[in-house]
Amino acid sequence: MVKLIVDGKEIKADEGRSVLQSCIENGMFIPNMCFIKKRQHPPASCRLCFVEIDGFDPPVTSCTEEVREGLVIRTDTAAVRRLQRTAFKLLMSAHHCEPKHCPVKGNCQLIRIAKHLNVGLTPKPLELLERDVEEEVDFAFFTYYPFRCVLCGKCVYICRQINGHNLLTFANRGFDTVIAFFGSGDPARFPCHRCGACASICPTGALVRKPECKRASGVTP
Amino acid sequence: MNKDDLTERFASILRRADRRARERRNEAIPTIYIVMSTCGLASGAAETKQAFEEALSDKDIGARIVPVGCLGHCYAEPLVVIDHPATGFPPICYHQVTVARARRLVRSYLEKGDPVFEYVLGALEENDLIPAVTDFARFNLEQRLVMEHCGRIDPDDIYQYIAAGGYSGLVKALCLEPEELIDEIETSGLRGRGGAGFPAGRKWRLASTAKADGKIIICNGDEGDPGAYMDRTILESNPHQLLEGLAICAYAVGADQAIVYVRAEYPLAVKTIKGAIKSAEGVALLGSTILGTTFSLNVSVFQGSGAFVCGEETALIQSIEGKRGMPQHRPPYPVEKGLWGRPTVVNNVKTLSSVPPIIKNGTEWFRGSGTETSPGTAIFSVVGNVKHPGLVEIAMGTSLRTLIFDVCGGIPNKKSFKAVQIGGPSGGCLPESFLDTPIDFDSLTQAGAMMGSGGMVVMDEDSCMVDVARYFIDFTQKESCGKCTFCRIGTRHLLNILDRITNGEGSEQDLELLGTLSEDIKLGSLCGLGETAPNPVLTSLRYFLDEYEAHIKENRCPAHKCRALTAFYIDLEKCARGCEVCVGCCPVEAIFTTRGRKKAIDQKLCVKCGECAVVCPPEYDAVLKVSPPELAPTLERTPDGK
Amino acid sequence: MAELVCMTVFESDPEERAVLENVAAMLEEFEKQRGNLIPILQAIQDKHSYLCGGAMEMVANHLDVALGEVYGVATFYNQFRFHPPGRHQIKVCLGTACHVAGGDIILENFERKLGIKDGETTPDREYSVERVACVGCCALAPVAVINDTVEGHIKPSRVEGIFVQFQVEREREEREEAERESSE
Repeated sequence: MVKLIVDGKEIKADEGRSVLQSCIENGMFIPNMCFIKKRQHPPASCRLCFVEIDGFDPPVTSCTEEVREGLVIRTDTAAVRRLQRTAFKLLMSAHHCEPKHCPVKGNCQLIRIAKHLNVGLTPKPLELLERDVEEEVDFAFFTYYPFRCVLCGKCVYICRQINGHNLLTFANRGFDTVIAFFGSGDPARFPCHRCGACASICPTGALVRKPECKRASGVTP
Repeated sequence: MNKDDLTERFASILRRADRRARERRNEAIPTIYIVMSTCGLASGAAETKQAFEEALSDKDIGARIVPVGCLGHCYAEPLVVIDHPATGFPPICYHQVTVARARRLVRSYLEKGDPVFEYVLGALEENDLIPAVTDFARFNLEQRLVMEHCGRIDPDDIYQYIAAGGYSGLVKALCLEPEELIDEIETSGLRGRGGAGFPAGRKWRLASTAKADGKIIICNGDEGDPGAYMDRTILESNPHQLLEGLAICAYAVGADQAIVYVRAEYPLAVKTIKGAIKSAEGVALLGSTILGTTFSLNVSVFQGSGAFVCGEETALIQSIEGKRGMPQHRPPYPVEKGLWGRPTVVNNVKTLSSVPPIIKNGTEWFRGSGTETSPGTAIFSVVGNVKHPGLVEIAMGTSLRTLIFDVCGGIPNKKSFKAVQIGGPSGGCLPESFLDTPIDFDSLTQAGAMMGSGGMVVMDEDSCMVDVARYFIDFTQKESCGKCTFCRIGTRHLLNILDRITNGEGSEQDLELLGTLSEDIKLGSLCGLGETAPNPVLTSLRYFLDEYEAHIKENRCPAHKCRALTAFYIDLEKCARGCEVCVGCCPVEAIFTTRGRKKAIDQKLCVKCGECAVVCPPEYDAVLKVSPPELAPTLERTPDGK
Repeated sequence: MAELVCMTVFESDPEERAVLENVAAMLEEFEKQRGNLIPILQAIQDKHSYLCGGAMEMVANHLDVALGEVYGVATFYNQFRFHPPGRHQIKVCLGTACHVAGGDIILENFERKLGIKDGETTPDREYSVERVACVGCCALAPVAVINDTVEGHIKPSRVEGIFVQFQVEREREEREEAERESSE
């Protein structure tokens, strides 16, 4: 156990834990999209969980910082908020928010972050970006909505954890990056009809199980 | 390790190399060295070689043709050096040796002894008859520590490198303790030549102290910077110096495996380095039990598949592991946990190639060049609007002015200097007021540019800085790996904004957003690619704000470069009656005949390629370019096309 | 660009079947190591000039990784192609020096001449055009690589000349072909 000070309050954390996880476990919210508990190497890709640590000049991502005895951390400085707000607006400029059709009910992480950062759900002053992809992609057991996807990568990770193989993968590169599902042969060969972990972990409703698959499984992953 | 045994083994290899060199010289027949690296070949070196061979056999003249690597004088390609001892002339360097010139050289010089002065670039040695190349600034202001042998030896012949003193650094290194060797590199102050300038000695020490087996050295030759080709040249022209450096590094940190990572876009470099590894293994200078010692090093080549981001060391490692080349958060640094989880040193081609001369000549010698904090030399590929583009190796601390105007001959076509872009997509554009900046890691970073890999593009008054910024953002945007938010989405916004500005649709709000978003991307990105991606935008905003404002407020591109903001028209006063040159070259048939059999451009069809302006005979010079486009007088095509 | 395939049944026309047979032989030479993924894909493309779905599936089976992983890697790198390129490959360099020297105008000329965009192949599979980041011949800018030959200081009007050259070449080939046939 080590002690650290977050926003003036002392908290206790297990050694080896990240600052982000320790804060969350102590009931202190730090915006995040790609963080998964217990994941060994955080991808640090969403760039939302910035904090300022005494002794480091620019803000750092809290998911990649291990807790140490006596760390002094601020989660709400002007520099932190500026980066978080920009990162959030960037995500919202590629995530087409359609509350009416959104399958994420009640517990939307993006809304939570927007409230925390005191910003709206629009990307303003950034424009809403268009992408050269289809609106819906058929993944056999799932439907993938690229315009909702923020590429947090949770689905790719969880699929590998559960199935040992990456049935889901990132494909293409840069702004064209998407989640993809490739397979050939008999669909029954794939564990997807009874798994569905990827759709459950998706925070933005970008991966949705097809109704017939839901019925077939009968288990909630 | 038995030192005597080691030196004796090397001495016998050296004797063989010397004997071969002597035999060549004793034959007393002329030797023709032809530069056969990629740029030489692109300029027609293969045809030149064939012409020499044919002419020699026609005339039945005995001469040896030796293909060599690049001398760095790309403006003079195809470049040929002829050593004809019987005439009493020193070796002479000839420029632009086309097929016709090659035949002429055989006829006049090799057959009759007339060295054809009009094709001479210079003699390679001082003499009374022919001006030596060292009389030119392009040669004598250079200081070749790393590229000393490039273009002088046959890269495919290991013995030529050995005869020139090669691999003696490795022998010297093997006689030292690894610890002493690292001390030596640390005192030399050698900094990584890949971009950021991390001290090479410190990197080696970190790796050597890591407690793990199977350490790995990776030579980073993934030269993705568009506009730089130093690594390619070294790989093609003197691969053994790199391999020697690689072996010294491996011995110092205790590695037994090394990988040379080369772009697949450089097929000749891949072929040359593979051949070099084989021949070095053949004489026990690489492979198992090097020179009879207990030190072994297995070297392999990995071809990069074309992703700029793989120049970043963690992404490079991912790609060797067979994954998508996505950068990883550091720490852990590769020196602790790199390829396959083992301690890995990733060094650039130029860094490793600097090592053998340092070991051979000592740290004092190395520190004799360059500055206190950046000792040694810098290798730049200077291209763009300069008279003498090519590769230049100069002492660190030399000013940009000396490099651009003295070494490379300044701006051609009586144009004026506007900016120099240093460091490629991670670097920045510096204006004229920075020409006296010394070239070293810290000064360039302070000015807002970056040493980067060593690409330098010189731009004259016809280059638009907004367009250049747009070009680089377009590049990094395409090359972003797509992992982190700032780089993936942020650079796309920057590109859209710059697209708007260069199309004359930008607003003042765009300009502000461009600045703040750039700063955020710099701070918020995961890896070096994203952190440095906004540099071209930030420097051009800092030094060329007036150009951005002209685009936005006046709909005008001051350099007449942005095509949406310019127009071509034909000045009827100047246009020659009946001349049809422009009509013939226009790819879209936008040029029509108007009154008095003069020509005019249909603005609706014109794609602004500028070819008509190029072909219009200089005595008329009737095609003019204006910005904003409204300045061009419009002439309507009459319905019957007349 | 690869489509977001799902549950594909890879067609096996005779051309592709021949490719797959050869790929099977090639795979024998590579150890079943994940690190061999990129070298294998490079070897296949070197030989067959593009990666077909069936080949990638064989690679996945050989290395015992999911097909998705092979696609994920292949779509990441610029080098890999998923459609057969044209018989004549035209690569226009858009490195910094080439850009400053008007490389984009050269690319446009090729595109206009062939009626395709960069990354595409003409319907008769005769030509394909692509942009490349930098071929490292910056001192000769602007540069294009036609098949495997680097052409330096290329001018918009040279584009026309290149096609005339190809035309002449093809006519000669056809003539020779006809002569051979008539002599037989």
